[in-house]
This record gives sequence, structure tokens and C-alpha cells, in this order.
Amino acid sequence: MPAENALVEDAPAEDAPGGDGSAGVLIVGYGNKLRGDDALGWHAVERLADDSRVAEAEVVWRHQLTPELAFDFGRADLVILIDADATLEAGAVSALRVTPAPGSEGGPLMSHHIDPESLMVLARELYGAEPVVWIVSMGPASMDVGEGLSPEVERAMPELANVVARLVAEFGARHGA
Amino acid sequence: MNREIIIDPVTRIEGHSKITIQLDARGEVVDAHFHVTQFRGFERITQGRPVHEMPSIMARICGICPVSHLIASSKAVDQIMAVEPSPTGADLRRILNLAQIVQSNALSFFHLSSPDLLFGFDADPAVRNIVGLARENPKFALDGIALRRFGQEIIEWLGGKRIHPSWIVPGGVAQPMSAETRDRILAGIPEAIAIVERALTWYKAEMIRWEEEATQFGNFRSAFMGLVDRHGNVDHYDGWLRVVDADGAHLADKVDPRTFGDYIGEAVEPWSYLKSTYWKAMGYPDGVYRVGPLARVNVADHMGTPRADEELQKFRWRVGRVANSSFHYHYARLIDTLCAVEKIEELLRGPDILSTHVRAHAEVNRHEGIGVSEAPRGTLMHHYKVDDDGIVEWANLVIATGHNNLAMNRSVLQVARHYVKGNDLQESMLNRVEAVIRCYDPCLSCSTHALGEMALRIQLLGPEGNLLDELVR
Repeated sequence: MPAENALVEDAPAEDAPGGDGSAGVLIVGYGNKLRGDDALGWHAVERLADDSRVAEAEVVWRHQLTPELAFDFGRADLVILIDADATLEAGAVSALRVTPAPGSEGGPLMSHHIDPESLMVLARELYGAEPVVWIVSMGPASMDVGEGLSPEVERAMPELANVVARLVAEFGARHGA
Repeated sequence: MNREIIIDPVTRIEGHSKITIQLDARGEVVDAHFHVTQFRGFERITQGRPVHEMPSIMARICGICPVSHLIASSKAVDQIMAVEPSPTGADLRRILNLAQIVQSNALSFFHLSSPDLLFGFDADPAVRNIVGLARENPKFALDGIALRRFGQEIIEWLGGKRIHPSWIVPGGVAQPMSAETRDRILAGIPEAIAIVERALTWYKAEMIRWEEEATQFGNFRSAFMGLVDRHGNVDHYDGWLRVVDADGAHLADKVDPRTFGDYIGEAVEPWSYLKSTYWKAMGYPDGVYRVGPLARVNVADHMGTPRADEELQKFRWRVGRVANSSFHYHYARLIDTLCAVEKIEELLRGPDILSTHVRAHAEVNRHEGIGVSEAPRGTLMHHYKVDDDGIVEWANLVIATGHNNLAMNRSVLQVARHYVKGNDLQESMLNRVEAVIRCYDPCLSCSTHALGEMALRIQLLGPEGNLLDELVR
């Protein structure tokens, strides 16, 4: 099922994390570190790990999304996924709210990785958790074989970090964390 | 008029592949092939690289079983450097390899195959997936997640990261294990054992439901190959190659794995990028043998751990001394996992496991090295040749999925003949064709190599390639 996404500015106000006032934040960067800008998620979490604006967040890197991340989703109130998005212009940053469509089963696990919507459904079914999930994406300039970021993506990394920090701050302000 | 059904791609496996089923004019299956449609050519890419880089390069050729490649590669470079890891270094490598087997087997059984087993092969694909599993049997789904996390966390704690760890190096491992890490892993052992035993209890109670599949899913006579130790127990890291026939008679035993080329040939077919290996004494294509969990339980005298040996005895009581149906990969995979968890505990309780003598250092002392170990999917072989400066001149990787290629093709044909009737395309029967491939849990990423997935597409084609019918999942 396609996700029902919204720009960060259009975030709905009723993003309740479960009502306990806690705001566990999970930030997951993912991608292939040997495919140039596809690794921007990894570069982002490397920098965010030392960013005081998200000091309370659990910041991790994964090669790809896998089913056991449902456990981590289940402990979080806010999840921010950071990934490359080839449909965006190089260096352009986008923040999209992920919401499985009503009645969504999520996508089937066809290979060894899983989509964000299915992880949300698994977290709900298995752990009774419904974290708010955002995907913060950036357009890559090159995903050819190689390590390191392109100049376009490198220049835009501070903006990506700012978007992530803003999401965390807004969520915290909204839920009293 | 002959016709052809194409299943493209096969789902819930790693990598790109498709299945073609050839029909005759009456709609009866006359032939079938499992095609691997991607090429990456790592043997060529590594030429010219310094040999000490090989383990870290090889760990990156697959995101599914990087530890297995790291181990086989490091063992090959051990030979080239003429070093032998210390006992603790070897035991730490063993633990990492077993953790890889636990997490990979857990993914294969709980997440990829159990939806078919739980819901049945005729169930609606919309519910026959991991989300449906979570709704129907949340405890089962939770167990799968917990067991895979256990294996992944061991890899992360020891190797520094879950995917592409580089802790294993030529000569041993990079750092010793801390007491804290040992204790953290030990604390998870009881739950891991309980999870596997629950799954085994469920599987044994339910297996009568899959009797038809068990008789039709790759149920044929073939050889089996795996590593065993000097007592005939399964050895996932080292030991000798043993090959048995369909009755359990030894075709070869106590074979030095470094001489595998004397016994195993490699053939190439124009319709697939996946090599087909074969047992030379039986020729090509008759020299079919299977590797992986089913082969490990078939070739070994014992598993070598108490709980797994008890389960092996029950397995043999149920399906015979040698299980010739590939459907029993699922059952064998659970026993293999139980054995791996028990072995991890046994190794962690060894008196010298915290020793700081974990790595031997050396330079290039030989021009050739072969490393062999058991990966989750079966026996894995890395063979390198280097020049005087240690630059790789030639490399050959023999991957578990390649060992199983002939068997997978034979299995597809058997299932197709039994279930597929060309005039009546149905999702459930085509899923059975795919499901027999999933029994082997093939990982095409490192056998050819690439990552990816697409929606399922089945096409019925006429002899001229014209589209007669199409089914899209």
C-alpha cells in the first residue's frame, strides 16, 4: 500500500505518542556505504550522534530496513528514517510523514528487507506501539560505486541535520518531552 | 503448440531470478528452469587488489551473509600468509559464524517461509506474509524477531556492526572479547533455545499438513555435502568435507577442503549467471548434490550438542536416516539453529575464551590459499592466487547457492510437473513453484551478485514469444 505522506509543514497536530508524555526518539540512517550518496543516511547519523540538538535520541545506522527493527519502532514515540531519494534533485531535502493507509497490511516481506509502512504495522500488531514516523530524504547526485559524498550532497548535509533537529524539537514541544 | 510460463521475479529470496516453465501443446510441463538474471563478477573485480584487503572486500559482497564470506576469505588468506589463528582466535571466529547462522536461519524460517507454512500454500497472498503472521500468531512473529535480533546483536557486539563487520582478520580476530560481552551473550542463550524449541514443537505438530509438499518439493535422490569434525559431528567452521549418497553411504570422507577442486566441477549454462557445481565422479549434469542445513544433518553422524542431537534423532525417526526431500530444509534449519545456539554457549564457557592472544601476524608466504566454512546456506569456498607481492591474480568463489543450483532446477521441474497445469494459471500453484526454491533459501547477492526485488509477474508465452496469458501479483 502506498504511504499517505505530508510535507513537514503540514504535519497534523494530533500526533499523540501514546499519551504517557514520554518522547523516545529513534533516528535510523540507512543505505549502502559503498554506493556514494546512497550512504547519506549513514553520514547523517554519524554527525547526528554528536549533535546536541538530538542528544536524547537513539541514533543508529542500518544497511537496510529489516523486520527486527519493529522491536525498536515498538519502543519509540518518534522515528525518523534518513535515506537517499533518487526522485529528488541532488541536495534537495524532503521530510515526509509516513502513515499506512487505513486497513493497510503493509507490504509483504519479499526479500530480506521491509518497507517503513510494514514496520509500523508490525510495531502496532506485536508491541501495541504507534510511533510517529517521518522519512527525511535527500536527492543524491551519484550512487555509483565508491565511498564519500558528492559535493552537492555534502553541502546540503547541514540542512538535513536541521530538518531532523526541527522534527525532534517540534515533537518534543508538542508532547512535553 | 508449446508454451512457456515465466515467474519473474521469484519473491521472498535475495536477488533477482525468474522461473520459466515449458509447456507442450496439451498444457503439460515438459521442462523448467530457475534463472538467475544478474551478474556482478566479484572474482574479476578483486584481481589486482592486495590480498590483505580481501576479507574486508569479501565481507561487502553480500549484506545477508557477510560473516560467512569474511571467514572463508580470512581462512584463505591465513593459508597464503602461512599462519594459524590461536585457539581463542579460532573459537571467536566460530562464535561469529554461528551467530550469523542463527540470524540467517531465523530470517529464512520465521519471516520468509513460515507464512506459507502457517497459512497454507493456497492462502491469499495478501495475508500470507509477515504482517499476516503477526496478526495470526503474534507470539510466533515475536519469537522470529527476537531470535534474529539475538544473532544480529552478537555480530554487532563482537564485530562492531551487524552488516559487513571487519573484526575477523587474517591470523585470527582484531580484538579479544570482553567479559561483559561474553556475559551479555550468555544471558540471551536460554531465551534463544526456548524460541527454537517452541518452533520445533510447533513444526513437528503441524508437519502432517505438508505431507503432499514434502513428497513433491525436490524429493529425489542426490548426494549431500558438508563439513564434519573428527568425531563426525557437524562443523560449521572447519573440519573435513564429507559427501554422502541418497542412502547415507559415504561417497567421500575426511577430504581436505583445500582439495575441493579435485572433486567438484563447475559448469555454466547460457540461461543463468549462476554457476552449476557438480560432483565430478558422477559427471555433469548427473552429479547433483545439495548443501546447507539439510545436507549438514544428512552428512553428519551427530550434531554434537545435546538438545540438537535429541532433535536429530527425532528427525531421523520421522523422515529417515537421509532426508531426500528439500521440503525438509525447514525442519533441518531449526535443528541447525538449535545446534548453533548450543555451540555458542559451549564456546563462551571455554576457559580461554577471554584470552588476549587472538591474532597471529605474518606476511605473504604462499602464492595460493583456499578457505572453506559452512555458511547458513551451505559450504562456502574462497580460492585465491597471488603474486610475490601479495597482489591477487586470480580468485574463485564457490557459493552455497551455486552448489544447490542443479538441485534447485530439478526441484522446480518436479514441483511444476505436479502442480502446474498450463491451461489454468493459479497463484497458489505458482507459489508452490517459488516455495520449493525458498526451501533452499538461495542468496543470489553473492552467488552472482546483486540486490533487489520486483513485484511477481508470471507470463504464459507461445513458442514465438507471444504473450498468451499474464498473472501479476
